[in-house]
Amino acid sequence: MSSANPGLAYEDTPPLSAPLRFFLTAPLFGLVAGLVLLFDGDLLASRWTPGALAVVHLFAAGFMLHVMLGALLQILPVVAGAAFPAPLRIAGVTHVLLGLGAAGLAFGLGSGTPSAIIAGAVLLAAGLGLFLAASLLGLARAAPAQGASRTPRDLRLALGALALTTVLGVVLAVALGRGLALPVALPTLVDLHAVWAWMGWGGLLLAATSWVVVPMFQITPAYPAGFTRFWAPATLVVLVSWSASLVADIGWLKLVLSALLLALASGFALQTIKLQRNSRRSTPDAPFRAFRLSMLALLGSLVALLVSLVSDAPQWPILAGVLVLHGTFAGAISAMLYKIVPFLTWLHLTQARIRAPNMKKLLPDAPVRKQLRLHAAALAALIVAVLLPVTTPLAGLLVAVEFGWLLANLLRAVRAWHQAANA
Amino acid sequence: MNTRTVDARGLEPPEPFERAMEALADLQAGEEFTLLIDRMPHPLLRMLDRDGYRHEASFRDDGTVAILIGRP
Repeated sequence: MSSANPGLAYEDTPPLSAPLRFFLTAPLFGLVAGLVLLFDGDLLASRWTPGALAVVHLFAAGFMLHVMLGALLQILPVVAGAAFPAPLRIAGVTHVLLGLGAAGLAFGLGSGTPSAIIAGAVLLAAGLGLFLAASLLGLARAAPAQGASRTPRDLRLALGALALTTVLGVVLAVALGRGLALPVALPTLVDLHAVWAWMGWGGLLLAATSWVVVPMFQITPAYPAGFTRFWAPATLVVLVSWSASLVADIGWLKLVLSALLLALASGFALQTIKLQRNSRRSTPDAPFRAFRLSMLALLGSLVALLVSLVSDAPQWPILAGVLVLHGTFAGAISAMLYKIVPFLTWLHLTQARIRAPNMKKLLPDAPVRKQLRLHAAALAALIVAVLLPVTTPLAGLLVAVEFGWLLANLLRAVRAWHQAANA
Repeated sequence: MNTRTVDARGLEPPEPFERAMEALADLQAGEEFTLLIDRMPHPLLRMLDRDGYRHEASFRDDGTVAILIGRP
C-alpha cells in the first residue's frame, strides 16, 4: 500500500470474475448430482454404494467447495483484510484444478475406476494446496484484526481443518485406488475424512461466515461474544479428541465425544434460530427463510446421527447425509449466494464509479423465492427417497432443476452487472 | 468542532455504504463526519484511501465501529 499510489489498496479486492467463476461453476455439480440420482435409483440403499459416494463428492467437492473457495476469495480480503497474492491467477488455476479434480473423483468413485479416483484426488489436493498457501500468505501479511469479531480467527481454524480433510482424502484415494494397506481400518478413515470435512471445514467455515453474514444481511443482533469466543476452538478440540478416540477405538469415549460434537452443532443451529427470531426485518425474505430451514435441517441431521450411533439400520446415516449436504449446506449456501452475488456486483460497479442499479434490479425477489421453494421441495423428496427408494428418480429430477434454476438466477445478476457496466 | 454523525447501523447492505457515499458527496474541504456502523467496512475504507480521504476508526463497547472521515 504505497502512499504514492493509494489505488493499490483498492486493488486488494479481487476482480469480480475471481469469485464469480467459482459461484457459476458450482451449480453445475449440483445439477449433475441430481441427474445421477435420476438415473441410478438404487444409490440411496447404503452410504457405501458407488453412486452414493459419487453424489456425495459432487455435492461436497463440486458444489460446496466451489462456492466456499469463491466466497473465501472475497471474504478474506473484506473481513480479515488479507489480500491474496495475484488473486486472478490463483483463482484461475485453483478453479481449473478443483473442477477437474471434483469431476474426476466423482467419476472414479461412481464407476469404480481407480486411476480416476487417484487423479481426481491429486488434482483436487493440488488446487486446495495452492489455495491454502495463497490464503496463508495473505493472512500472514494482513494487519492484526481489530474489534471483537472472531471471524478472522475462525477462518484460519477452518482452513486448518480443510488441510487435514484434504490429506485424509488423498490417503483414502490412494488406499482405494492402489489397495494400500493402512494402520487404520478403511471405514474409520472414511469417518475421519467425512467428519473433518463437514464439521471441521464445513461447520467452522459456515460458523465463521455466519458471525458476519447473519447479522449483516438478516438484520439480527450479533452472535453473543461469549458464544463466538468459544464455539470454534471448542469444536476443534472436541474434533481432535474424537479423532483420537476413534483411532484408539475406545467405545465409550467415542460415544461421549460424538454426543459433545452433536451438542456443539445443535448449539450453533439453535443460537442462529434465536437470533433470527430477534431480527429487525419486518417480513422475512426468501433467503432468510431458507437459512432458517437450513438450521432446522442441521438439527434434523443431528437427530439422525444420534440414532445412527445406536442403530444399525442403514437409513440413518443416509438421512443424516441428505440433511447435512442438501438440507444444511446447499440451503445455507444458496441463501448466502443470493445475498452475496448481487451485493458484490453492486460493490464492484460502485467502486468502478459506475452508477449501480438498485439491488432488487440486479436480482429480483420472485425468481429467488420460487427457486428456494423448489429447494425445500427437493429436500422433502430426498427425505422421502431415503425411506422409499423407488421415489429416488423424482428427488433427482427436483435436485437437477433446483441447481439449474440457481445457476439461471445467478446469471441474471451477472447479466444485469454487464448491462450496467456497459451502459 | 461539532462533527456530524451518520448512523448506518442496523441496515442491510449496501445501504450503509450508500449512506456513507451520500455524506461524502456533501463534504467540503476541511470538513469531517463520524460514520457509525456495525462492522469494519473494508471495501469503503479502500475507496476512501483511493480517493484521498482521511479516516480513523475506533471501537465502542457495544461493538459499534465509529469512523471519523475527513476531506483534506
